[in-house]
Amino acid sequence: MMRVTGISKRFKSYQSPADRLKEICFRKKYHRDIVALEDISFEVQEGETLGIVGQNGAGKSTILKILSGILLPDAGSIEIDGKITGLLELGTGFNPELTGIENIYMNGTFLGMTRAEIDEKKTDIMDFAELGEFIYEPIRTYSSGMLMRLAFSVAIHAEPKCFLVDEALSVGDAYFQQKCMRKILEFKNTGGSIIFVSHDMNAVKTLCDSAILLDKGRVLDYGDPKTIIDFYYGMILKKSHMGNAEVEVVKVSDRKGGETSSTSTGEVKILSFNILNERDERISYIESEQTVKFVYEIKSLKDLSEPHYGLHVRDNLGVSVFETNTYCMGIKTPPLKKEQVAKITYKMKIPLSAGNYSLSVGVANKGYDRGSFEEYLLMAHDVDILKIISRDDSIIYSGVFNMNPKVSVQ
Amino acid sequence: MNIGLILELAKRDITEKYSGSTLGALWNFIYPLVDIFIFTVIFANLMGSRLPGSSSVYAYGFYLTSGVVAWNAFSNTVLRTATVFLDKKHIITKVKVDLSSFPLYIAISESITFVVTMGVFLFLLLISGYGVKPLVLFVPLIYLVQQLFAYSLGFLIAIFVVFVRDLREIIRIALQFWFWFTPIVYVYDILPEYVKKIMIYNPAFTFIHAYHSVFIYDQSPDLKAILFLCLLSFAILLCAGITFKKLERDVRDFI
Repeated sequence: MMRVTGISKRFKSYQSPADRLKEICFRKKYHRDIVALEDISFEVQEGETLGIVGQNGAGKSTILKILSGILLPDAGSIEIDGKITGLLELGTGFNPELTGIENIYMNGTFLGMTRAEIDEKKTDIMDFAELGEFIYEPIRTYSSGMLMRLAFSVAIHAEPKCFLVDEALSVGDAYFQQKCMRKILEFKNTGGSIIFVSHDMNAVKTLCDSAILLDKGRVLDYGDPKTIIDFYYGMILKKSHMGNAEVEVVKVSDRKGGETSSTSTGEVKILSFNILNERDERISYIESEQTVKFVYEIKSLKDLSEPHYGLHVRDNLGVSVFETNTYCMGIKTPPLKKEQVAKITYKMKIPLSAGNYSLSVGVANKGYDRGSFEEYLLMAHDVDILKIISRDDSIIYSGVFNMNPKVSVQ
Repeated sequence: MNIGLILELAKRDITEKYSGSTLGALWNFIYPLVDIFIFTVIFANLMGSRLPGSSSVYAYGFYLTSGVVAWNAFSNTVLRTATVFLDKKHIITKVKVDLSSFPLYIAISESITFVVTMGVFLFLLLISGYGVKPLVLFVPLIYLVQQLFAYSLGFLIAIFVVFVRDLREIIRIALQFWFWFTPIVYVYDILPEYVKKIMIYNPAFTFIHAYHSVFIYDQSPDLKAILFLCLLSFAILLCAGITFKKLERDVRDFI
């Protein structure tokens, strides 16, 4: 188990490093404080994964550096009954002139392994990294993916109690990423704690047991990953919004008793959301592969020149299954006047496998590029849940949806 | 403190510097051997430099060698320890290391060079007929105190180098002056009286003179001076330790 209590870190910004000495000698302030972390506390149990999300500059890297012992916090403590290693973008301390093998020894020693331990695990490390003959070459000849493989392999074999993972994992190819993920899960199952820092929200949702949302060095929220990620998306909405209206992130209980979190600038209000079948009857569940209509009404409190309307379907883990909007579909939409109401209908077949799916809707203005908008006005998460039940005459399959294959056997 | 790590680093330090070259680590020992060759053969035989009061052709060469070999170990240790945090930035900012014992690998690696060079030097003393006295048994003691001094001094400076990077160059120049202010190339006796008086405050003179006593003058080294140097080193080490404790966080932030 790992417990972090009240960690704070300030970086002092000096004109030149020598000012720090002047400060000590003359006891006068020569710096400007930059708060990197403020009173961060969390706990990671054995076999648990904690996600850390936040925008650039929120303090994620600083936490990782402090946890890995490269930087010292100004206040607070870290308790852990073992060592912390990780695969960090900040690198590994490899020496480019040494061969892969030599770096295994060097790096292993840094991570606190004895020579005998390394001798014993060398084969495992080499096998996992799958570098073939390259292991005998100086690592300056390696590609960044190969370096990552070696670094990951040494770090995970150093028998840590806690493993840190950040975006560095994304350097590897799809095959190796999967392999790393499997290894990480195996590590987790044997009681290791993991701290996972990523911008990949789906990965955070699927991997993590809890998550922290960091903003400007503070913990904005700490809880289950799904709530944190909705909150995070809300923050992004706030940031991308260029108007000056206040953004409210509210959690309202909808009529079915579930929880809806909606983020809105207040300039667009959602009036209704309904799920209908082909005969326009309101439904809460439906057989797979049937046609469904999602109908929602919004009211704009200001003029919108090119409004676009989105729909987002997520599974019960919160993983995105399908998401699009009118801009991305190339649909021309009429401008919306102040106080005008628009009714949007998405009609589609749902070939999804059985389960509960949550629906979110959004409204944005003026699209550009590949699905970005100048103004994000509304993002209503989980406005409704649709239960999909399997269809009796359907083939039996597993996975996300029925790909409806045509098979011939000759 | 992780002894295994320090030894591994010391080993790498010797092998890494010339990795890629055919002779590899041997280069570490070729340089000092060339020095010895120049001092003994060229200075003594060709230039005919003589040590005052000695009849041996090689006396001056051996005088020079014993001083320079010791000085090189000392000045390399000080200089490299002083700049170690910046030189090894790529490691310190990536993995967790105990910064206070980390630079020890330099002292060890320099010691290995010293031992090998000394071995060759002793061999030369024997075959040249100059002779080796039992007094050489003092050499390990002198060397230990010398390196303790070098490490303490280097470590103290290392903390400040992080904040004032110019120190790196300043220390280089200071060591140059220090070398010439210490009787290594010349002999103590030729110094004017007032310089001789100041000389006792030169810690480098203490250990260099001790080597000269043992190898050249057949005298027991000045143990009182060595003890004093030892105490001075511990004082500097303590001072460095306190400074480091106070500044470690900043050192890590600034690297």
